[in-house]
This record gives sequence, structure tokens and C-alpha cells, in this order.
Amino acid sequence: MSHAATPGRRWPGQRLTRGARAAGLTALLAAAVAFPLIFPNPVATNYGVFTLIFVAVASAWNVFSGYSGYISLGHAVFFGSGAYTLGIAARDWHVSGTAVFALLPLTAVAGALIAVPFGLVALRVRRHTFIVITIAVFFIFQLMAYNFSFTGGSIGVSAPFLPWQAATYNNPFYYIALGCAVGMIAIAWLIRRSRFGLQLRAIRDDEDRARGLGVRAMRVKLIAFALSGAVTAVAGGVWFFYLTQVEPPSGFDPLFDLSVVLMAFLGGLGTVAGPVLGALIIEPGQLYLTATFTSGYLSEILLGVVFLVVVLFMPRGIIPTGGEWVTKLRTRGRPAITPPAPVQAEKAEAKR
Amino acid sequence: MARQIYQAIADGILVGGVYALMAVGLTLIFGVLDIINIAQGILVILGAYLSYELAARLHIDLFIGLLVTVPAMFVIGVVIQWAFIRPLRGRERTSMTLLVTYAIALIVEGLLYQLFGPSYKQLNAWYVTSSVHVFGFYLPYIYLFGFVLALALVAALYMLLYRTRFGRSVRATMQDETAARLIGIDTNRVAAITFGIGVAVTAAGGMVYGATSGGFNPNSGYDLISRLLAIIILGGLGSIGGAMVAAVFMLTLESLVDVWSPEWAIVVFYAALVLVLVVRPSGFFGRQPVRAQ
Amino acid sequence: MRPPLPRFSRNALALSAAATLSVGVLAACSSSSSSTASTTPATSATADKAPIIIGASLSLTGDFSADGLNYEHGYELWAHDVNAAGGILGRQVTLKILNDNSSPTQVATNYTTLISADHVDLTFGPFSSLLTTPADSVVAHYGYAFVEGAGGAPAVFQSPANAADHNIFDVSLPIKDEMVPFVNYIASLPASQRPKTAAYPMADDPFADPPVQLAQSMLQALGVKTVYSKIFPEEVADYKAPADQVAASGAQIVVLGSTDVPTVSAFMQAFEQQHYNPKLFIAAAGPDQGASFTSVVGKANATGMMVPDGWYPGFADAASQALVKEYVAKYGGTASSMSSDVAEAYSVGQVMEQAIKATGGTDNAKIIAYLHSSGTTLTSVQGPVKFDSLGENGESDAFVFQWQNDVFDQVLPASAAGSVAILATKPNWAS
Repeated sequence: MSHAATPGRRWPGQRLTRGARAAGLTALLAAAVAFPLIFPNPVATNYGVFTLIFVAVASAWNVFSGYSGYISLGHAVFFGSGAYTLGIAARDWHVSGTAVFALLPLTAVAGALIAVPFGLVALRVRRHTFIVITIAVFFIFQLMAYNFSFTGGSIGVSAPFLPWQAATYNNPFYYIALGCAVGMIAIAWLIRRSRFGLQLRAIRDDEDRARGLGVRAMRVKLIAFALSGAVTAVAGGVWFFYLTQVEPPSGFDPLFDLSVVLMAFLGGLGTVAGPVLGALIIEPGQLYLTATFTSGYLSEILLGVVFLVVVLFMPRGIIPTGGEWVTKLRTRGRPAITPPAPVQAEKAEAKR
Repeated sequence: MARQIYQAIADGILVGGVYALMAVGLTLIFGVLDIINIAQGILVILGAYLSYELAARLHIDLFIGLLVTVPAMFVIGVVIQWAFIRPLRGRERTSMTLLVTYAIALIVEGLLYQLFGPSYKQLNAWYVTSSVHVFGFYLPYIYLFGFVLALALVAALYMLLYRTRFGRSVRATMQDETAARLIGIDTNRVAAITFGIGVAVTAAGGMVYGATSGGFNPNSGYDLISRLLAIIILGGLGSIGGAMVAAVFMLTLESLVDVWSPEWAIVVFYAALVLVLVVRPSGFFGRQPVRAQ
Repeated sequence: MRPPLPRFSRNALALSAAATLSVGVLAACSSSSSSTASTTPATSATADKAPIIIGASLSLTGDFSADGLNYEHGYELWAHDVNAAGGILGRQVTLKILNDNSSPTQVATNYTTLISADHVDLTFGPFSSLLTTPADSVVAHYGYAFVEGAGGAPAVFQSPANAADHNIFDVSLPIKDEMVPFVNYIASLPASQRPKTAAYPMADDPFADPPVQLAQSMLQALGVKTVYSKIFPEEVADYKAPADQVAASGAQIVVLGSTDVPTVSAFMQAFEQQHYNPKLFIAAAGPDQGASFTSVVGKANATGMMVPDGWYPGFADAASQALVKEYVAKYGGTASSMSSDVAEAYSVGQVMEQAIKATGGTDNAKIIAYLHSSGTTLTSVQGPVKFDSLGENGESDAFVFQWQNDVFDQVLPASAAGSVAILATKPNWAS
């Protein structure tokens, strides 16, 4: 008898797998925490810092855009705003040294505060228009960063100098970035399991119908947007302090969002682990390849080709596609439905 | 002061014509295929380079050279659509098309760098630097010719859309793709040809851009795409006349603000877009969607 | 039959796989030295001495790619010349150049890689003030000297890292005073011949604005009326509107705060379309890019265009002339087609070479102390080099250059050695 015929009954080994799952994740977390100890070379931890920043950002972006279906190409607004907030606060309040890290929650507040009017304006329109509005708001912010004097104009803002040892300089940044990333992944997982997450996905599937079913669409979208924006802003703050400099074109980088879309997409839009995987692959890959390929523009052509291959052959991202392959392997040779017991054949046998 | 304002208005209209040339193809693609073509910026640059090669090597006049570059870009457009965009389906189609068109932009940019290097090129002709003296203002010929070309292309596209059978298929596909397929329209063919037309028109935009930009290299495409997107959304997705109106409107507005402060002029450009969209989400001439996209 | 793996288990598995993969890649990255473009030492007779490895990150792609490429040529020419002469202290020089795609994130990663993975002895700077600041905060932490030629904006010298460690050394002309010879020339004209009005359009850039703003305040004090002074965004696709406004102002002098060739070219084109001929037209950057400039604007229109700089291909200095000859032999074109970027990069190498020789090795702390020591004046193809406490080159003089019939000539200060007569009025645009 197939297990599918008895709903609610757990298959043997499920408890085992759940335990294995938890153990696997714990091991992963332990590895991430131990990473700077195993690979103390600043080159490795440098990759780690940038990668974890983008893990947090990709995950945050996905919680809004992946779950709700509203593709945002303006998250750089939050990233840059977080960077500038930290820089301006440190500059104007004369904060220096490790105390600057204490200002990070301020960036989250800034991100959320910006998300509210931004969302109220942008989330009223449909998908394609939404994308362009996010682009427009992005440019407005970049240009404001150039034009206002409190943002330093084209010079931007510098972070206070940390007189730390070079060999271990990256480590505190690594752990803070790790905290952001883990926190965001946890939030993404919790949302996915919750009613809120269900409402978001209902909006993605068919917003009008969701509304008809009682989902307060605007409120749900706005909350997700604000959450996403807040975490992205914190990541921006960490990035700024690590790099010690933010200027309008680097804080508000037009290619930032496309990279994030690619990361989320590569891993699998709308999944929890997808953006994480995507960021883990793309950010270090991009840093490494750009540095190494000095000859001509082959690296750009190569990158474009890789994108094309990924999108055309793995359109749902690595995690869902990978999951399908694993399932195919595991169920190879087995019929999808066990045919009913051949009573007639037995009778025929008995007759002979 | 008045003179400055008139100058600004004239400038806005003329430059708006150039942007209209670049945007018209984009809105057609958007309207029919429902995709945001991020490669549009680099395709403009590609058109500029094609015109440059014809002019530099074969000494063909820029406008006459369009007779070659427009069909060439049409073919390129059809190939791109057929090979890379047609296979995209499913719920994540929006992000997929974003990524694919971005990938195409990267590849084209890389190829252009390989072929031409980072040095700047300029398209030259007698009408690029000379102007006609009218009412005390100088109106450069290249902009006037470009504006006329934009009007001609818009008119030609309207003829195509409203007077031909193919045009009817295009409009049907724009309204409702499934219904169009049900009545026997080969929407794949329509999509491919429309994309081709959109890219072909961009060749003209590229030529005028290359003549008026003061020097272009493969990196120049990035600044363009955001403004083109803003223009077509404002004009209404799929509305060709709307793209023209929006281009002229936006550039004139920007030009007027330029008189007071060039720094804020571009902010006004994007802020105006946001404002209009809040009031009228489908742009000047766009269709209101029946159901959520 | 087992149902397919629950989604989360798939996630966890895939995540573990990816994490392991990433860790492996990163570990590989950190232990190996990346393969890059490097100059191979000439057949070294002194094979027993370890080479001096110098690392740099350059913008070989992206926004600054045109200049980045020139810098690469400059660094490589220097390394080649040094090695051909037997190396420094008998050691051959190896360059390791990484591409930063004009991105601050990448530039910080590159210098971390160069210092911690490739273990370079010394570092050269990247291109542009915007990248020098984030790069320096990495380099400063390691105590390395940062000799560079393209980070001249005041913000670079005032950055927190430099304020703390004083490790930046810009061999090129500090930009804020570069328009002063031009202002002095205007002041030297008799009042009846002096232009009455001036326009100051500026791109929003820390490199372009300070010298133009200083020129504006000085010229205003001389009685030259400001009829236009505005800052326009740099990343704009069309300059027609601001350029037409300048043309409408009818100013006799135009001081353009530009950073690249297309800005200057677009303004020139708009002026030509408007039949507006300023008597004097000077740009902060663009006309100093040699062939990149003249091929876009045309040789006829280039005549009369002026630009301030610390160096030009006609500089009558033996080492400079040798460099020009070498460059033309290797890359073609004429002397005037050479960009000043190449000389800047070459000077970076020369300054470092002298510091290594003076301190007897590649100890960065000693080099930093040496370069800051008050008695030290060094030589370079750009002229004398002497650093103040912030790392600015106080010895370099600003010159103003002008295109005259396809030759790039030094014209100001008029009394300086090598100056030719200035074309006092820019010829009308050639239509």
C-alpha cells in the first residue's frame, strides 16, 4: 500500500531525517563561525565579509521580491542609505572606534523609515511599473547623495579609522556580517512558515484573488518591504564601515540590484536557501574573477554567457532544480503509483 | 531670462526627439512581449558603432547608412529573441527576462570592447556641427533631422500597427496573448518580428545618439537605460506615440530645470515620473490592466 | 515509497554542498597567488637575488578603463626600463596588476589579495581619487607606503587613513592650484585687453570642482564678471542644455570642470552649433588625453583648447623625452597623442625606485619615513617631487598647455622654460 494513500501517516525515517537536518544546519553554522579560525588569512576573511554581506542582502531582497513577486531593482536605496546613515551619524556625533558598531540599529531604523513612503508610493502599481518606479527612486537617491552637502556631495563620507592589527582586522566585521546573515536567514525561514508568508505568496500568485480572500495586501507588502529594507540598510552600514568610504556611485550602484536578483534567482527565488546559495557562489566568484581576468573584456562576455546558461537551463534556480534531480535519482525505477493488487491474475493462475 | 527659457524649451524638444528614437523600440518590445529589455542601452551603442564603421570605412553618410544598419539590427533582434527570450516561461518570467537581457547586454558590451577598445568615438557629418538660424536661436541640423526621423518612424510604426494584417496580430497579442493564439495568430512569430522591429528602430536612435553625445564608448550604455525606461513607463507601455510625447515632455522639463540648477534637473526627471505614476499608474497613454499582472 | 525529500532537507543538503564548495574555493584563493599580468624580468645575471614584487590594482574595465589602461602602460614601461638597466639594488622588478573594474569593493579586495596572498613587497596606487581612498585604508593597516599618481583630490589627503598613517604619496600635481597660471595670465593682461566675462560649468566631481572654483574666486577679484557658474551631474547622457546655457551667456572665458573627453567634446560641439566662440577655453581634463581627444573633436577644433597639467610630451627633460620615444615606439602614434596618465604612472615607479635605493631595501616604514623627510627632493619625468606631511607634491609646478595645429604645446607660465607663445584668442570653430 502506498503511503500516499494514508494521509497524515509519517513515513519511517522522517524523524531521523529531521534530526539529521538539524545536525547538518548546526554543523554548517559551526563551520561558518570557525571559518576565520581555520582560515585566518585576511584574504579569506575579506571574501567572507563581502560574501556574508551579500548573503544578508540577497536573503532580505528575496523575502520581499521573491515571496511577493514584486521585483525590486531599487534595494540599493536601502543599502546606500544604511551606509550614509552610519557615516553621517559617526561624523556628526563624533563617534569613533568600536562604538560605531553600536550605531548599526540606527541604520535599520533608517531603512524601515525610508521603506514606508517608498512602499506607499511604489506598491500601488502593478509589476512592471513597480520595477521602473524602484529604478526611478534609486536614481533620485543617488542624485540626492550628490547634491546635498550633508552627504558630502561627490566626495561622500568617510568612516573613522580603526587602528587595529591588519592580520585580525577583518574578523569583527566577519562576525557581525555573519550575525546579520544568520539573523536574516532565520527571519526568512520564520516568515516562510508563518501565515504572513502565506499571505505574501498568495499575493504573488494572484493578488486580486488574495484580496478577495481577505488578505490586507498593501499592509502585508509594506511590512515585508520595510523588513527587507531594514536588513539591507544594516548590511549597507557594515559594508561602509568595512570599506571606510561611501560615495554616491558606490553606495548607490546601479548594478547592485541586478547582482542581487541574479543571486536570488540562481539559488531559487522564493526559497529560503536559494539566495544564500546564490550569494555564496556569485559574490566570491565575481571578486575572484574580476581580479584575475585582466586581459580584455573576456570576463564580461564569460559572465554574460554564464548568466544565459543558468537562466535557460536552470530556470527555477539551483535549489528547486537540484531538489528535482535528487528526487529523480531517489525514485528512479519506482512507479509513481503502485498498481492495485492483481486479483484477476491470481484467479487466472488458480484456474489453470 | 526669457531667452534662456525659450532656449531650454527648444533644447528639450530637440533632445526629446533623440530620446524618442531610442525609446520607441523599447516600448514596442515592452508592449508586445511584456519584458523589460535591459540591453536596450547597449543596443543603442551598437547602432552607433555600426554607423561609425560604415562612415569611417566606407564613407557612407550617416542617414544613408541607416538603410544598412536598420535591417542589420532587425536581424540581430530576431536572433536574440528567438534564441534567448522565447524559451523563457513560467512564473519567474519577469526576473528571467531581466537577467537574460542583462546577460545579453554584458556580452554585447564585452564584444564591443574587444573590437573597439575603450577609446571614444564620434560620428561626424556636416549637419552635426552646423545649425539653422531661426528667430534668433540656433537649431542644430542633426537634432532637427533626428526629430523628423523620429516622427517618420512613429508614423511608419503606426501605419504598420493599424493598417496591416501583421499589425493587427501585434495589437491582438498586446491585448491578450492567449486569446490571440486561440484565434490562430502565431504569437511566437509576432514576438520575434516585433522584437526585431524594436531593435531595428534602435539603430536609428543609436546613430543620432552617436552624433550628439560628444563621444561614446561601450560603457556609455548604462546611463541611457534608466532614462529610457522612465520615458516608456511615463508614456505608457506599448504606446509608441506615448513614448514620443513622454520623451519630449521629460526632456523639456529637465531642460527648464537646468536653467536654474543642472544638478536637480535629473532628480526632477525621476521625481516627475514617480509623481505621474502615483496619479496615473499606467502612464500617459497606457492601457489600464484588467487584472493584476 | 518515500515521498520526495521535504524542501528544507533539500535546502540543507544543497547549502552544505555550497558552503563546502565555497570554503574550498576561498581556501584555494588564499593560499595560491593569483595569476596576473606581470612583466617577466629580463634574463637576470643576478639570479640569486629575489625579485622585488610590486602590486597594483588598476581599472582595466569599467568607468575608468581608458585611463586605467594608460596607467598599466606607464607602470609596465617603468618596470621594463628598470629591469633593462639591471634592476634596483641588483633585484629585478616584477609587477602584479589586478583589475578592479573601477569598483571600491573590488579595489579593497585586490589590495588585500596582493598583500596577504601574493605577498608583494610594495604597492602602487590605483586610478582615480574615488578608488584611492578605500584602497588606502587597506594598505595603511598593513603599514605599506602608497605611492600613486592619480589620487589628487583634497579628500584623498584628508582621509582618516592618511591622517592616521601618512602613507599616501601623490607624485602628481595637486589639483587645487592647477588653474593658477591661467589666472595669472589673465591678470597679466592690460585692463583693456582683459576679458570681461567668464562662465564656470563644472561636473560634480571632487577632482574637477576645486580648481575651477578657486579660479572663479580669483578671477572675480580681478574684475572678471561671472555670468554662469553651475555644477552639473557627471553621469549625464547629454550636455546640450547646460552647454547651450553657457553659450547663451556669451562669456568670453569658459573654464570647464571636466573629467573626461566626452564632456569637453560635447560642450565644444554645442558651442559650435550655437555659433558661440569663447575667446579663451580651458578645461580641467580631456585635452590632455592626446589622441583620444583629437580623434573625437577633430584637429581643427582642438586648436586653442587649453588644459592645466604637470606634464606634457614636449617636456624638455632627457628622461621624459626618452619615455615619450619609448612609448611611441611601442604603441604608435605621435608624441602629442600620448596621454599624461602614462607619465604619471611612470613617475610613481621612479619615486619608488629612488626610495628603495635610498633606504637600501623594501622596508615600508623606512620608505615612508624617507619620503616624508624634509630634505628629500626626488626627480621624475614630471619634474621634481617633494612631499609635504599629507603626501602632496609641493614641488610640482602647474603648467597650462594648448593645442596649436595638432601639436600640444606648453604656453603658461609664459616665462617658464619651454613655453611657446599662447594663442590669445581661440580661433572660431571650423565648420
